[in-house]
Amino acid sequence: MLVPGLVAIALLATGCGGSDDDGGATAASSGTTPGATAASGDPIRIGTSLPLTGEFSEPGKAAEQGYRVWEKMVNDAGGLLGRPVEIIVRDDASDQNTIVADYNALISREKVDLLLGTFSSLLNIPASTVAERNRMLYVEPAGGAPEIFDRGYKLLFFAQQATADHQGDLFADYILSLPESERPKTAAYPTLDDPFAIPVLEGIRAKLEPAGIETVYAETYPVDTSNFDAIANAVKSADPDLLVHGATFADGVGFIRALDKVGFDPDYFFETSAPSFADQFSKGIGVENTEGIFYAVSWTEEANTPGNQEFLAGYEEMYGAGVPAEDAADAFAAATVVQRAVEAVGGVDDQQALADWLHANEVETILGPLSWDETGAPEGEFLIGQWQDGKSEIVLPEAAATTDAIVQRKGDE
Amino acid sequence: MTELVQTIILGLLIGGVYALLASGLTLIFGVMNIINVAHGAFLILAAFVTYSLWQATGIDPLLSIVVTTPAMFVFGWLVYRGGVRRIRGAPVAASVLLTFALALVLEGVMGLVWGNTSHAVRPGYFNESFEIGSIFLPQAQVYGCLLAIGVLIALWVFLTHSWLGRAIRASAVNPPGAELVGVKVSGVAAMTFAIGVATVGAGGSIVSVLYPFLPGSHYLWISRLLGIIVLGGMGSLSGAAIGALMLGVAEAMTSTYISPAWATAVPYVVIFVVLLLRPQGLMGARLREDVAT
Repeated sequence: MLVPGLVAIALLATGCGGSDDDGGATAASSGTTPGATAASGDPIRIGTSLPLTGEFSEPGKAAEQGYRVWEKMVNDAGGLLGRPVEIIVRDDASDQNTIVADYNALISREKVDLLLGTFSSLLNIPASTVAERNRMLYVEPAGGAPEIFDRGYKLLFFAQQATADHQGDLFADYILSLPESERPKTAAYPTLDDPFAIPVLEGIRAKLEPAGIETVYAETYPVDTSNFDAIANAVKSADPDLLVHGATFADGVGFIRALDKVGFDPDYFFETSAPSFADQFSKGIGVENTEGIFYAVSWTEEANTPGNQEFLAGYEEMYGAGVPAEDAADAFAAATVVQRAVEAVGGVDDQQALADWLHANEVETILGPLSWDETGAPEGEFLIGQWQDGKSEIVLPEAAATTDAIVQRKGDE
Repeated sequence: MTELVQTIILGLLIGGVYALLASGLTLIFGVMNIINVAHGAFLILAAFVTYSLWQATGIDPLLSIVVTTPAMFVFGWLVYRGGVRRIRGAPVAASVLLTFALALVLEGVMGLVWGNTSHAVRPGYFNESFEIGSIFLPQAQVYGCLLAIGVLIALWVFLTHSWLGRAIRASAVNPPGAELVGVKVSGVAAMTFAIGVATVGAGGSIVSVLYPFLPGSHYLWISRLLGIIVLGGMGSLSGAAIGALMLGVAEAMTSTYISPAWATAVPYVVIFVVLLLRPQGLMGARLREDVAT
């Protein structure tokens, strides 16, 4: 019989999506030639595996850029402890199994000196386990899901300001601070089935529901969803005043396009991740459709943080004009955290000493100062951004705001 | 009530597009007994070509089917001559392996050329809708569906009213018989494969407007299309059309009334249910091995 075999192939095809091109041993090592810099001696080799292909390829590529900019800047400035650094990047194809194999290979076969984390909680969960078992420091540029930090890991650090469940805190507080007449009465919470997106929504919902904002829609859709018309239609039927969408990138863009098609615009619209992708986001949905969309963000190009201008200059030199994605900045910050720890400890052999130093100290990064509790969870606060007139602005907290205005999704209608 | 009607309409609109995409797959299987697992990758390739044309010239992506269809026809012909022809005598599993490999290679090549990031084609109307009372019809879906139906009708007319079309159908039903009445079955096979691939040329242009896509998207499409042709009856063109509409509506209904979490499982559920209840599919054309026995 032919058909059952066919089914098997179809299932197989979806199951092993993209894992063919995991890069294998041909990891894209850096083009750095040690002799060209002031640094000398054996390079400090740093391993990471990023989702350069597949579902998370957008943030994965951005993270690689951030790491590469850091690598070049460190080498140009004389290296780390006087030695050049070399980042070895593997491609996990956004696959949880591949990333475990990748980190194991980096540690046991490539024998890297240090590790750097990957993108998305989904991939950082298994990757950090490999690192912890091998007693390696693991600083992740993304991966704020609460479940990352309740496993009692000692060598894990999240190099952003807050965990996912607190990402939307400022936004929820803002909604609750609105006068009664403007305050939304109902809210919808569609989300991607993702360990990062869901806690962000749950954090916001946990604040809004007790305050009387009724939940009229809450559904989760799987990672490979491409048709958002029916979901958008269901949201339209529920007619919420406030829409909070848990997204990564492609689904965030697809969902907003579907909302435009069904002709639904909530008064307030918050989406995770996707709107922080600068012009990739505005190109994806059309710049005229960005107005009023809120998002939480860890970094902005205008930020007056130490090293931010140098980072922007380094990025432009390597990748040309254009605003780096937030994930590039996060990756750069994660590498900075590792760098500070290594410089303070004065070596890479004692990974526990690196972790101890990070637990005891605050690190200045382009995201601002970062510090961690005993689980490696950061103790700061996210920025809240909003698209206004085709440009992303920081609106909260007031101290970091780039504009005083906060607009509604529908504009002046 | 409005929501139900709206959901069904959305399902039918996308089902029309599915029908076009599945037609080429079922045609290739019906005539050649080849399961073209690379069909989804061909589709994404056509979508990328549409994207590049749109970027370079600003040409309406739906108009660009006049370029993508012939281009994919030639591409399909070359693939047949270069690879598929060599496994014509082999068991059907060989065709699955060969085309799966082809899909993987294409995925990699597309990643190199266009990058492994999400792409979207946005003509002026991509987020506009026609409104009839409280029902809305997304313009891109309406144009895409009409175009798909147009191409399908052209394909049907060709298959039923031209000598080559009749030769293709004759080769599907009974190859030795077709040979006897003067059809050169091997030549017909090449033509069929090329035509089957050409349908995703048009389909890729339509899909590029409807959904964001990246090289890895082809997995999702091939599983959905296989679900459709199993449902419709493998090798049956009308079955593929009916199966496509049913699957489109089933996905939309599942997403709205059960949960979006189950919508992507619909093609697989359909395959299992069909295999249990009606293994030959809705319009099950008897397979060639059945005819032989």
